Amino acid sequence: MFQQFVNWFHSLSAEVLTKGLRVAITVVLGLVLFRLLAAVTQRYLMRKSTLQRRMVARKAITYSGFVLVLLAVLGELGVKLTALLGAAGIVGIAVGFASQTSVSNIISGLFLISEKPFAIGDVIRIGGTTGIIQSIDLLSIKIRTFDNMFVRIPNEKILSSEVTNVTRFPIRRMDLVFQVDYGQDLARVLAVLGEIARVNPWSLDEPEPVILFTEFKESGIEIQFGLWFAKTDFMPLKNSIMQDVTSRFAVEGIRFAHPRRTIRPDAPARRAPPRKRAATS
Amino acid sequence: MDRTGISVWEAVDIPQRKCLQWRFPSRSIWVERVETEWHVLSLPEAARQHMATRMAVARSMKPRSTEWRHYLHRAGGQMRPSPVLPDRPVVIRPDRELTLLPGQSTIFYLGIPVWFRLSTKGPPPARIFDEPLEGLTRTWFGDPVTGELCWGLATRLHHSLDSVDTAADHAVCPLEIENDSETDLEFQKICIHVENLSVFRGRQRLWTNSLHVVFKGPDQVTQIEIAREPPGLEQNLELAAQARQPAAGWNIRKTFGMLKSFTDF
Repeated sequence: MFQQFVNWFHSLSAEVLTKGLRVAITVVLGLVLFRLLAAVTQRYLMRKSTLQRRMVARKAITYSGFVLVLLAVLGELGVKLTALLGAAGIVGIAVGFASQTSVSNIISGLFLISEKPFAIGDVIRIGGTTGIIQSIDLLSIKIRTFDNMFVRIPNEKILSSEVTNVTRFPIRRMDLVFQVDYGQDLARVLAVLGEIARVNPWSLDEPEPVILFTEFKESGIEIQFGLWFAKTDFMPLKNSIMQDVTSRFAVEGIRFAHPRRTIRPDAPARRAPPRKRAATS
Repeated sequence: MDRTGISVWEAVDIPQRKCLQWRFPSRSIWVERVETEWHVLSLPEAARQHMATRMAVARSMKPRSTEWRHYLHRAGGQMRPSPVLPDRPVVIRPDRELTLLPGQSTIFYLGIPVWFRLSTKGPPPARIFDEPLEGLTRTWFGDPVTGELCWGLATRLHHSLDSVDTAADHAVCPLEIENDSETDLEFQKICIHVENLSVFRGRQRLWTNSLHVVFKGPDQVTQIEIAREPPGLEQNLELAAQARQPAAGWNIRKTFGMLKSFTDF
Protein backbone atom coordinates (compact mmCIF):
# COMPACT_ATOMS: atom_id res chain seq x y z
CA MET A 1 0.00 0.00 0.00
CA PHE A 2 2.75 2.39 1.05
CA GLN A 3 4.82 1.36 -1.95
CA GLN A 4 1.85 2.13 -4.20
CA PHE A 5 1.59 5.60 -2.70
CA VAL A 6 5.34 6.22 -3.22
CA ASN A 7 5.08 5.11 -6.84
CA TRP A 8 2.09 7.35 -7.38
CA PHE A 9 3.96 10.27 -5.79
CA HIS A 10 6.99 9.73 -8.07
CA SER A 11 4.72 9.67 -11.12
CA LEU A 12 3.47 13.23 -10.40
CA SER A 13 4.97 16.01 -12.46
CA ALA A 14 6.91 18.86 -10.86
CA GLU A 15 4.16 21.29 -11.80
CA VAL A 16 1.50 19.27 -10.01
CA LEU A 17 3.71 18.87 -6.98
CA THR A 18 4.37 22.61 -6.82
CA LYS A 19 0.68 23.36 -7.12
CA GLY A 20 -0.16 20.86 -4.41
CA LEU A 21 2.45 22.33 -2.13
CA ARG A 22 1.11 25.85 -2.70
CA VAL A 23 -2.44 24.69 -2.00
CA ALA A 24 -1.33 22.99 1.23
CA ILE A 25 0.56 26.11 2.35
CA THR A 26 -2.45 28.30 1.51
CA VAL A 27 -4.80 26.07 3.50
CA VAL A 28 -2.54 25.70 6.53
CA LEU A 29 -1.40 29.32 6.66
CA GLY A 30 -4.86 30.67 5.89
CA LEU A 31 -6.63 28.65 8.56
CA VAL A 32 -3.92 29.34 11.16
CA LEU A 33 -3.96 33.04 10.31
CA PHE A 34 -7.73 33.36 10.67
CA ARG A 35 -7.77 31.32 13.88
CA LEU A 36 -5.07 33.60 15.22
CA LEU A 37 -7.02 36.67 14.12
CA ALA A 38 -10.16 35.36 15.87
CA ALA A 39 -8.22 34.67 19.06
CA VAL A 40 -6.52 38.09 19.08
CA THR A 41 -9.83 39.84 18.41
CA GLN A 42 -11.52 38.00 21.26
CA ARG A 43 -8.72 38.28 23.78
CA TYR A 44 -7.49 41.81 23.19
CA LEU A 45 -9.75 43.88 20.95
CA MET A 46 -13.09 42.70 22.40
CA ARG A 47 -11.91 42.04 25.95
CA LYS A 48 -14.70 44.18 27.43
CA SER A 49 -17.43 42.98 25.08
CA THR A 50 -20.10 40.54 26.13
CA LEU A 51 -19.61 36.82 25.73
CA GLN A 52 -22.20 36.79 22.97
CA ARG A 53 -20.52 39.52 20.89
CA ARG A 54 -17.17 37.79 21.21
CA MET A 55 -18.70 34.53 20.05
CA VAL A 56 -20.36 36.21 17.04
CA ALA A 57 -17.07 37.93 16.11
CA ARG A 58 -15.15 34.65 16.37
CA LYS A 59 -17.63 32.83 14.17
CA ALA A 60 -17.76 35.68 11.61
CA ILE A 61 -13.96 35.69 11.32
CA THR A 62 -13.71 31.90 11.17
CA TYR A 63 -16.44 31.44 8.54
CA SER A 64 -15.20 34.37 6.40
CA GLY A 65 -11.68 32.98 6.64
CA PHE A 66 -12.88 29.57 5.54
CA VAL A 67 -14.62 31.03 2.48
CA LEU A 68 -11.57 33.15 1.55
CA VAL A 69 -9.21 30.18 1.88
CA LEU A 70 -11.57 28.08 -0.25
CA LEU A 71 -11.65 30.76 -2.95
CA ALA A 72 -7.85 31.07 -2.85
CA VAL A 73 -7.45 27.30 -3.19
CA LEU A 74 -9.89 27.15 -6.10
CA GLY A 75 -8.01 30.02 -7.77
CA GLU A 76 -4.74 28.15 -7.22
CA LEU A 77 -6.18 25.04 -8.83
CA GLY A 78 -7.20 27.07 -11.86
CA VAL A 79 -10.93 26.88 -11.31
CA LYS A 80 -12.60 29.87 -12.97
CA LEU A 81 -14.67 31.56 -10.31
CA THR A 82 -17.05 33.27 -12.75
CA ALA A 83 -18.10 29.92 -14.20
CA LEU A 84 -18.30 28.50 -10.72
CA LEU A 85 -20.50 31.34 -9.53
CA GLY A 86 -22.77 30.86 -12.57
CA ALA A 87 -23.07 27.18 -11.79
CA ALA A 88 -23.55 28.04 -8.15
CA GLY A 89 -26.52 30.20 -9.11
CA ILE A 90 -28.28 27.27 -10.73
CA VAL A 91 -27.29 24.93 -7.94
CA GLY A 92 -28.31 27.60 -5.46
CA ILE A 93 -31.87 27.65 -6.71
CA ALA A 94 -32.10 23.89 -6.35
CA VAL A 95 -30.48 23.92 -2.93
CA GLY A 96 -32.59 26.91 -1.91
CA PHE A 97 -35.79 25.00 -2.51
CA ALA A 98 -34.43 22.07 -0.57
CA SER A 99 -33.18 24.10 2.37
CA GLN A 100 -35.87 26.65 2.99
CA THR A 101 -35.98 25.85 6.70
CA SER A 102 -32.24 26.23 7.12
CA VAL A 103 -32.21 29.56 5.32
CA SER A 104 -35.14 30.70 7.41
CA ASN A 105 -33.22 29.71 10.54
CA ILE A 106 -30.13 31.58 9.39
CA ILE A 107 -32.09 34.76 8.69
CA SER A 108 -33.90 34.41 12.01
CA GLY A 109 -30.50 33.94 13.68
CA LEU A 110 -29.25 37.19 12.15
CA PHE A 111 -32.35 38.98 13.45
CA LEU A 112 -31.81 37.50 16.91
CA ILE A 113 -28.17 38.55 16.94
CA SER A 114 -29.05 42.11 15.95
CA GLU A 115 -32.12 42.42 18.22
CA LYS A 116 -30.37 40.89 21.25
CA PRO A 117 -33.41 39.76 23.27
CA PHE A 118 -31.05 37.60 25.35
CA ALA A 119 -27.37 36.86 25.77
CA ILE A 120 -25.27 33.85 26.70
CA GLY A 121 -25.78 33.07 30.39
CA ASP A 122 -29.33 34.46 30.54
CA VAL A 123 -32.14 32.27 31.81
CA ILE A 124 -34.99 32.14 29.28
CA ARG A 125 -38.38 30.49 29.15
CA ILE A 126 -39.77 29.48 25.78
CA GLY A 127 -42.85 27.29 25.58
CA GLY A 128 -42.48 24.78 28.38
CA THR A 129 -38.68 24.92 28.45
CA THR A 130 -36.65 27.00 30.89
CA GLY A 131 -32.87 27.01 30.94
CA ILE A 132 -29.57 28.86 30.67
CA ILE A 133 -28.39 29.89 27.20
CA GLN A 134 -25.17 28.12 26.27
CA SER A 135 -24.70 29.42 22.73
CA ILE A 136 -26.46 31.47 20.06
CA ASP A 137 -25.65 30.15 16.62
CA LEU A 138 -26.79 30.87 13.09
CA LEU A 139 -29.24 27.99 12.97
CA SER A 140 -30.29 27.52 16.58
CA ILE A 141 -29.71 28.39 20.21
CA LYS A 142 -28.61 25.81 22.73
CA ILE A 143 -29.81 25.89 26.30
CA ARG A 144 -29.12 23.82 29.38
CA THR A 145 -32.19 23.17 31.50
CA PHE A 146 -32.02 23.20 35.30
CA ASP A 147 -32.21 19.42 35.39
CA ASN A 148 -29.12 19.40 33.14
CA MET A 149 -30.60 18.54 29.79
CA PHE A 150 -29.41 19.93 26.49
CA VAL A 151 -32.10 21.56 24.37
CA ARG A 152 -31.61 22.88 20.84
CA ILE A 153 -34.22 25.37 19.67
CA PRO A 154 -34.27 26.46 15.99
CA ASN A 155 -33.99 30.21 15.54
CA GLU A 156 -37.11 30.30 13.39
CA LYS A 157 -39.17 28.96 16.29
CA ILE A 158 -37.71 31.52 18.71
CA LEU A 159 -38.50 34.40 16.40
CA SER A 160 -42.14 33.34 16.10
CA SER A 161 -42.65 32.45 19.80
CA GLU A 162 -42.99 34.40 23.01
CA VAL A 163 -39.66 34.30 24.83
CA THR A 164 -39.34 35.35 28.47
CA ASN A 165 -35.91 36.50 29.59
CA VAL A 166 -36.05 35.69 33.31
CA THR A 167 -32.73 37.27 34.30
CA ARG A 168 -32.66 40.36 32.08
CA PHE A 169 -33.22 42.78 34.97
CA PRO A 170 -31.28 42.72 38.25
CA ILE A 171 -34.31 42.36 40.52
CA ARG A 172 -37.56 40.43 40.19
CA ARG A 173 -40.77 39.91 42.11
CA MET A 174 -41.86 36.51 43.35
CA ASP A 175 -45.62 36.16 43.74
CA LEU A 176 -47.12 33.63 46.12
CA VAL A 177 -50.86 33.18 45.69
CA PHE A 178 -52.82 31.40 48.40
CA GLN A 179 -56.17 31.53 50.17
CA VAL A 180 -57.03 32.05 53.82
CA ASP A 181 -60.18 30.77 55.43
CA TYR A 182 -63.23 33.03 55.65
CA GLY A 183 -63.58 34.41 59.14
CA GLN A 184 -59.90 35.38 59.52
CA ASP A 185 -59.01 38.87 60.72
CA LEU A 186 -57.74 40.28 57.43
CA ALA A 187 -56.01 43.24 59.06
CA ARG A 188 -54.07 40.76 61.17
CA VAL A 189 -53.21 38.69 58.07
CA LEU A 190 -51.94 41.86 56.38
CA ALA A 191 -49.75 42.76 59.37
CA VAL A 192 -48.34 39.25 59.72
CA LEU A 193 -47.42 39.04 56.02
CA GLY A 194 -45.73 42.44 56.24
CA GLU A 195 -43.71 41.22 59.22
CA ILE A 196 -42.75 37.99 57.42
CA ALA A 197 -41.44 40.00 54.46
CA ARG A 198 -39.57 42.39 56.76
CA VAL A 199 -37.62 39.73 58.64
CA ASN A 200 -36.81 37.49 55.67
CA PRO A 201 -33.12 38.05 54.86
CA TRP A 202 -33.54 37.52 51.09
CA SER A 203 -36.51 39.79 50.53
CA LEU A 204 -35.78 43.40 49.55
CA ASP A 205 -37.47 46.00 51.72
CA GLU A 206 -37.49 48.41 48.80
CA PRO A 207 -39.43 48.05 46.45
CA GLU A 208 -42.02 47.28 49.08
CA PRO A 209 -43.70 43.88 49.06
CA VAL A 210 -47.10 43.66 47.40
CA ILE A 211 -49.84 42.26 49.65
CA LEU A 212 -53.20 42.22 47.93
CA PHE A 213 -56.53 40.56 48.65
CA THR A 214 -57.40 39.61 45.10
CA GLU A 215 -60.67 37.68 45.12
CA PHE A 216 -63.48 36.04 47.10
CA LYS A 217 -63.07 32.40 46.20
CA GLU A 218 -65.23 29.36 46.82
CA SER A 219 -63.36 28.30 49.96
CA GLY A 220 -61.59 31.45 51.12
CA ILE A 221 -60.11 34.81 50.32
CA GLU A 222 -57.28 34.80 47.78
CA ILE A 223 -54.14 36.77 48.61
CA GLN A 224 -51.26 37.77 46.40
CA PHE A 225 -48.01 38.09 48.35
CA GLY A 226 -45.29 39.55 46.11
CA LEU A 227 -41.70 39.89 47.30
CA TRP A 228 -38.88 41.63 45.45
CA PHE A 229 -35.49 39.97 45.39
CA ALA A 230 -32.10 40.11 43.67
CA LYS A 231 -32.19 37.70 40.72
CA THR A 232 -29.53 35.44 42.22
CA ASP A 233 -31.57 34.83 45.38
CA PHE A 234 -34.52 32.99 43.85
CA MET A 235 -33.99 29.64 45.55
CA PRO A 236 -33.14 30.80 49.09
CA LEU A 237 -36.08 33.21 49.03
CA LYS A 238 -38.54 30.65 47.67
CA ASN A 239 -37.59 28.02 50.23
CA SER A 240 -37.41 30.35 53.21
CA ILE A 241 -40.59 32.30 52.50
CA MET A 242 -42.71 29.15 52.12
CA GLN A 243 -41.43 27.96 55.49
CA ASP A 244 -41.89 31.40 57.06
CA VAL A 245 -45.51 31.75 55.91
CA THR A 246 -46.46 28.23 57.00
CA SER A 247 -44.85 28.39 60.43
CA ARG A 248 -45.91 31.94 61.21
CA PHE A 249 -49.53 31.27 60.19
CA ALA A 250 -49.52 28.23 62.47
CA VAL A 251 -48.25 30.35 65.38
CA GLU A 252 -50.76 33.14 64.70
CA GLY A 253 -53.67 30.71 64.22
CA ILE A 254 -54.32 31.88 60.66
CA ARG A 255 -55.87 29.06 58.66
CA PHE A 256 -55.27 28.40 54.98
CA ALA A 257 -58.46 27.74 53.02
CA HIS A 258 -59.14 24.19 51.93
CA PRO A 259 -61.89 23.05 49.55
CA ARG A 260 -64.98 22.47 51.70
CA ARG A 261 -68.42 20.94 51.12
CA THR A 262 -71.32 21.33 53.55
CA ILE A 263 -73.57 18.25 53.61
CA ARG A 264 -77.04 18.80 55.10
CA PRO A 265 -79.06 15.85 56.36
CA ASP A 266 -82.58 15.23 54.96
CA ALA A 267 -85.67 17.00 56.42
CA PRO A 268 -86.92 15.51 59.75
CA ALA A 269 -90.29 14.37 58.22
CA ARG A 270 -88.57 11.93 55.92
CA ARG A 271 -86.39 10.44 58.61
CA ALA A 272 -87.07 6.92 59.75
CA PRO A 273 -88.96 6.88 63.09
CA PRO A 274 -86.77 6.14 66.10
CA ARG A 275 -86.82 2.54 67.23
CA LYS A 276 -88.89 1.83 70.32
CA ARG A 277 -87.03 0.27 73.16
CA ALA A 278 -88.28 -3.04 74.41
CA ALA A 279 -90.05 -2.71 77.76
CA THR A 280 -88.15 -4.23 80.58
CA SER A 281 -89.61 -5.22 83.91
CA MET B 1 -11.41 55.37 80.13
CA ASP B 2 -12.65 52.96 77.45
CA ARG B 3 -16.43 52.90 77.94
CA THR B 4 -17.27 51.26 74.63
CA GLY B 5 -14.57 48.62 74.45
CA ILE B 6 -13.01 50.19 71.38
CA SER B 7 -9.66 48.66 72.33
CA VAL B 8 -10.94 45.33 70.94
CA TRP B 9 -9.76 46.64 67.58
CA GLU B 10 -6.12 46.51 68.65
CA ALA B 11 -3.73 43.98 67.15
CA VAL B 12 -3.49 40.71 69.02
CA ASP B 13 -1.37 37.60 69.00
CA ILE B 14 -3.31 34.35 68.52
CA PRO B 15 -1.03 31.42 69.39
CA GLN B 16 -1.53 27.90 68.09
CA ARG B 17 -4.59 26.08 69.48
CA LYS B 18 -5.85 29.17 71.27
CA CYS B 19 -9.36 30.52 70.92
CA LEU B 20 -10.34 34.16 71.26
CA GLN B 21 -13.82 35.59 71.54
CA TRP B 22 -14.74 39.10 70.45
CA ARG B 23 -18.03 40.04 71.99
CA PHE B 24 -19.79 42.98 70.34
CA PRO B 25 -23.14 44.54 71.31
CA SER B 26 -25.16 42.30 69.00
CA ARG B 27 -22.79 39.56 67.82
CA SER B 28 -19.96 37.37 69.09
CA ILE B 29 -17.08 36.10 67.01
CA TRP B 30 -14.81 33.20 68.00
CA VAL B 31 -11.48 32.72 66.26
CA GLU B 32 -9.26 29.72 66.80
CA ARG B 33 -5.95 28.95 65.14
CA VAL B 34 -5.14 25.30 64.46
CA GLU B 35 -1.99 24.67 62.40
CA THR B 36 -2.59 26.53 59.13
CA GLU B 37 -6.34 26.77 59.62
CA TRP B 38 -8.37 29.57 61.13
CA HIS B 39 -11.64 28.38 62.62
CA VAL B 40 -14.27 31.10 62.80
CA LEU B 41 -17.73 31.17 64.33
CA SER B 42 -20.12 34.11 64.36
CA LEU B 43 -23.30 34.02 66.42
CA PRO B 44 -25.81 36.73 67.34
CA GLU B 45 -26.03 37.81 70.97
CA ALA B 46 -29.28 36.91 72.69
CA ALA B 47 -29.45 40.36 74.34
CA ARG B 48 -27.71 43.53 73.26
CA GLN B 49 -24.45 44.11 75.17
CA HIS B 50 -23.36 47.53 76.34
CA MET B 51 -19.72 47.31 75.41
CA ALA B 52 -17.39 45.23 73.29
CA THR B 53 -14.93 42.85 74.92
CA ARG B 54 -12.22 40.45 73.86
CA MET B 55 -11.32 37.40 75.91
CA ALA B 56 -9.46 34.12 75.66
CA VAL B 57 -11.74 31.08 75.74
CA ALA B 58 -10.71 27.61 76.85
CA ARG B 59 -11.04 25.16 73.95
CA SER B 60 -13.41 23.06 76.00
CA MET B 61 -15.65 26.09 76.46
CA LYS B 62 -15.93 27.13 72.83
CA PRO B 63 -19.45 26.74 71.39
CA ARG B 64 -20.30 23.48 69.69
CA SER B 65 -21.87 24.40 66.39
CA THR B 66 -22.04 23.23 62.81
CA GLU B 67 -21.55 26.80 61.68
CA TRP B 68 -17.80 26.95 62.27
CA ARG B 69 -16.06 28.02 59.10
CA HIS B 70 -12.47 27.13 58.24
CA TYR B 71 -10.01 29.34 56.39
CA LEU B 72 -6.64 28.09 55.25
CA HIS B 73 -3.83 30.58 55.70
CA ARG B 74 -0.26 29.96 56.78
CA ALA B 75 0.07 33.30 58.56
CA GLY B 76 0.44 33.40 62.28
CA GLY B 77 1.65 35.74 64.99
CA GLN B 78 0.16 39.20 65.31
CA MET B 79 -3.31 39.54 63.83
CA ARG B 80 -5.13 42.77 63.22
CA PRO B 81 -8.89 42.97 63.66
CA SER B 82 -10.24 45.96 61.81
CA PRO B 83 -13.64 47.64 61.52
CA VAL B 84 -14.45 47.80 57.80
CA LEU B 85 -17.57 49.32 56.33
CA PRO B 86 -20.15 47.12 54.56
CA ASP B 87 -19.37 45.81 51.09
CA ARG B 88 -22.29 47.54 49.37
CA PRO B 89 -23.76 51.05 49.53
CA VAL B 90 -25.97 51.69 52.55
CA VAL B 91 -29.39 53.29 52.08
CA ILE B 92 -30.34 55.32 55.12
CA ARG B 93 -34.06 55.56 55.83
CA PRO B 94 -34.64 58.30 58.41
CA ASP B 95 -37.20 57.44 61.08
CA ARG B 96 -38.94 60.77 60.53
CA GLU B 97 -39.40 62.99 57.52
CA LEU B 98 -37.13 66.00 57.31
CA THR B 99 -37.11 68.73 54.70
CA LEU B 100 -34.15 70.95 53.95
CA LEU B 101 -35.32 74.24 52.51
CA PRO B 102 -33.66 75.80 49.44
CA GLY B 103 -30.36 77.54 50.10
CA GLN B 104 -29.96 75.88 53.50
CA SER B 105 -27.28 73.46 54.68
CA THR B 106 -27.09 71.13 57.65
CA ILE B 107 -24.91 68.43 59.16
CA PHE B 108 -26.06 64.97 60.25
CA TYR B 109 -24.20 62.26 62.13
CA LEU B 110 -24.99 58.74 61.00
CA GLY B 111 -24.09 55.60 62.90
CA ILE B 112 -23.11 52.97 60.33
CA PRO B 113 -22.61 49.36 61.48
CA VAL B 114 -19.13 48.04 60.73
CA TRP B 115 -17.94 44.55 59.74
CA PHE B 116 -15.24 42.63 61.55
CA ARG B 117 -12.19 41.91 59.41
CA LEU B 118 -9.32 39.76 60.60
CA SER B 119 -6.07 40.13 58.72
CA THR B 120 -2.43 39.40 59.29
CA LYS B 121 -0.45 42.35 60.52
CA GLY B 122 1.91 42.01 57.56
CA PRO B 123 3.65 43.50 55.78
CA PRO B 124 1.79 43.13 53.52
CA PRO B 125 -1.41 42.48 55.49
CA ALA B 126 -3.52 39.60 54.20
CA ARG B 127 -7.25 39.38 54.80
CA ILE B 128 -8.49 36.19 56.44
CA PHE B 129 -12.23 36.94 56.63
CA ASP B 130 -14.92 39.65 56.88
CA GLU B 131 -17.98 39.22 59.08
CA PRO B 132 -20.96 41.59 59.55
CA LEU B 133 -21.59 42.60 63.15
CA GLU B 134 -25.18 43.71 62.68
CA GLY B 135 -27.79 42.36 60.29
CA LEU B 136 -28.84 44.90 57.70
CA THR B 137 -31.78 44.48 55.38
CA ARG B 138 -31.37 44.12 51.63
CA THR B 139 -32.74 46.98 49.62
CA TRP B 140 -32.73 48.41 46.13
CA PHE B 141 -31.86 51.99 45.29
CA GLY B 142 -32.92 53.42 41.95
CA ASP B 143 -35.16 52.08 39.23
CA PRO B 144 -35.53 48.32 38.66
CA VAL B 145 -33.28 48.32 35.59
CA THR B 146 -30.34 50.56 36.45
CA GLY B 147 -30.46 50.76 40.25
CA GLU B 148 -28.14 48.96 42.62
CA LEU B 149 -28.39 46.43 45.40
CA CYS B 150 -27.70 48.03 48.77
CA TRP B 151 -27.92 47.42 52.50
CA GLY B 152 -30.83 49.17 54.20
CA LEU B 153 -30.55 50.92 57.53
CA ALA B 154 -33.43 52.59 59.34
CA THR B 155 -31.95 55.16 61.69
CA ARG B 156 -32.28 58.62 63.09
CA LEU B 157 -30.52 61.55 61.45
CA HIS B 158 -28.73 63.06 64.45
CA HIS B 159 -28.08 66.79 64.42
CA SER B 160 -25.87 66.63 67.47
CA LEU B 161 -22.97 64.31 68.10
CA ASP B 162 -24.02 63.96 71.74
CA SER B 163 -27.15 62.07 70.76
CA VAL B 164 -25.22 59.47 68.75
CA ASP B 165 -24.59 56.33 70.81
CA THR B 166 -20.95 55.45 71.30
CA ALA B 167 -20.39 51.85 70.26
CA ALA B 168 -17.42 49.82 69.10
CA ASP B 169 -19.43 48.30 66.25
CA HIS B 170 -20.65 51.54 64.66
CA ALA B 171 -18.71 54.23 62.82
CA VAL B 172 -19.97 57.80 62.87
CA CYS B 173 -20.24 59.40 59.44
CA PRO B 174 -20.45 63.22 59.45
CA LEU B 175 -22.70 64.13 56.54
CA GLU B 176 -22.98 67.76 55.51
CA ILE B 177 -25.79 68.46 53.06
CA GLU B 178 -26.28 71.63 51.10
CA ASN B 179 -29.47 72.34 49.20
CA ASP B 180 -28.22 74.35 46.26
CA SER B 181 -31.52 74.12 44.37
CA GLU B 182 -34.79 75.98 44.30
CA THR B 183 -36.83 73.03 45.55
CA ASP B 184 -37.34 71.51 48.99
CA LEU B 185 -35.10 68.55 49.73
CA GLU B 186 -37.09 65.85 51.49
CA PHE B 187 -35.06 63.11 53.10
CA GLN B 188 -36.81 59.81 52.46
CA LYS B 189 -33.76 57.78 51.50
CA ILE B 190 -30.07 58.63 51.38
CA CYS B 191 -27.64 56.31 49.62
CA ILE B 192 -24.14 56.40 51.09
CA HIS B 193 -21.41 54.67 49.11
CA VAL B 194 -19.60 53.38 52.16
CA GLU B 195 -17.22 51.31 50.07
CA ASN B 196 -15.44 54.61 49.31
CA LEU B 197 -14.98 55.51 53.00
CA SER B 198 -12.16 54.67 55.41
CA VAL B 199 -12.61 54.06 59.12
CA PHE B 200 -10.67 55.90 61.82
CA ARG B 201 -10.36 54.98 65.49
CA GLY B 202 -10.71 57.57 68.22
CA ARG B 203 -10.79 57.25 72.01
CA GLN B 204 -14.48 56.32 72.26
CA ARG B 205 -15.76 56.17 68.71
CA LEU B 206 -15.04 54.96 65.23
CA TRP B 207 -15.30 57.56 62.48
CA THR B 208 -15.52 57.60 58.71
CA ASN B 209 -14.40 60.34 56.33
CA SER B 210 -16.71 63.33 56.28
CA LEU B 211 -19.06 63.67 53.35
CA HIS B 212 -20.14 66.92 51.77
CA VAL B 213 -23.17 66.55 49.53
CA VAL B 214 -24.47 69.28 47.25
CA PHE B 215 -28.05 68.82 46.04
CA LYS B 216 -28.61 70.65 42.76
CA GLY B 217 -32.21 69.66 42.10
CA PRO B 218 -34.36 66.57 41.58
CA ASP B 219 -33.40 66.25 37.92
CA GLN B 220 -29.72 66.91 38.50
CA VAL B 221 -27.04 64.54 39.71
CA THR B 222 -25.73 65.15 43.20
CA GLN B 223 -22.14 66.15 43.86
CA ILE B 224 -20.42 64.32 46.69
CA GLU B 225 -17.10 65.28 48.19
CA ILE B 226 -15.28 62.79 50.38
CA ALA B 227 -12.82 64.44 52.73
CA ARG B 228 -9.38 62.89 52.42
CA GLU B 229 -8.44 63.62 56.03
CA PRO B 230 -10.02 62.16 59.18
CA PRO B 231 -12.90 64.26 60.55
CA GLY B 232 -11.71 67.10 62.74
CA LEU B 233 -14.25 66.36 65.48
CA GLU B 234 -11.70 64.34 67.44
CA GLN B 235 -7.94 64.75 67.65
CA ASN B 236 -5.31 62.08 66.96
CA LEU B 237 -7.52 59.72 65.01
CA GLU B 238 -5.80 56.58 63.82
CA LEU B 239 -6.57 54.89 60.50
CA ALA B 240 -8.32 51.63 61.39
CA ALA B 241 -9.31 50.39 57.92
CA GLN B 242 -8.76 51.62 54.41
CA ALA B 243 -11.73 52.16 52.10
CA ARG B 244 -12.66 49.05 50.12
CA GLN B 245 -12.60 51.16 46.95
CA PRO B 246 -10.84 54.48 47.41
CA ALA B 247 -12.71 57.18 45.44
CA ALA B 248 -11.66 60.32 43.66
CA GLY B 249 -12.20 63.57 45.61
CA TRP B 250 -15.38 64.62 43.83
CA ASN B 251 -17.96 62.13 42.93
CA ILE B 252 -21.20 62.60 41.04
CA ARG B 253 -23.92 60.17 41.89
CA LYS B 254 -27.57 59.79 42.57
CA THR B 255 -27.84 60.04 46.33
CA PHE B 256 -31.36 61.01 47.27
CA GLY B 257 -34.42 58.92 46.64
CA MET B 258 -37.31 61.27 47.15
CA LEU B 259 -40.10 59.66 45.19
CA LYS B 260 -41.13 56.08 45.30
CA SER B 261 -40.34 54.60 41.92
CA PHE B 262 -42.20 51.38 42.58
CA THR B 263 -45.79 52.40 42.92
CA ASP B 264 -46.78 50.04 40.16
CA PHE B 265 -48.51 46.80 40.92
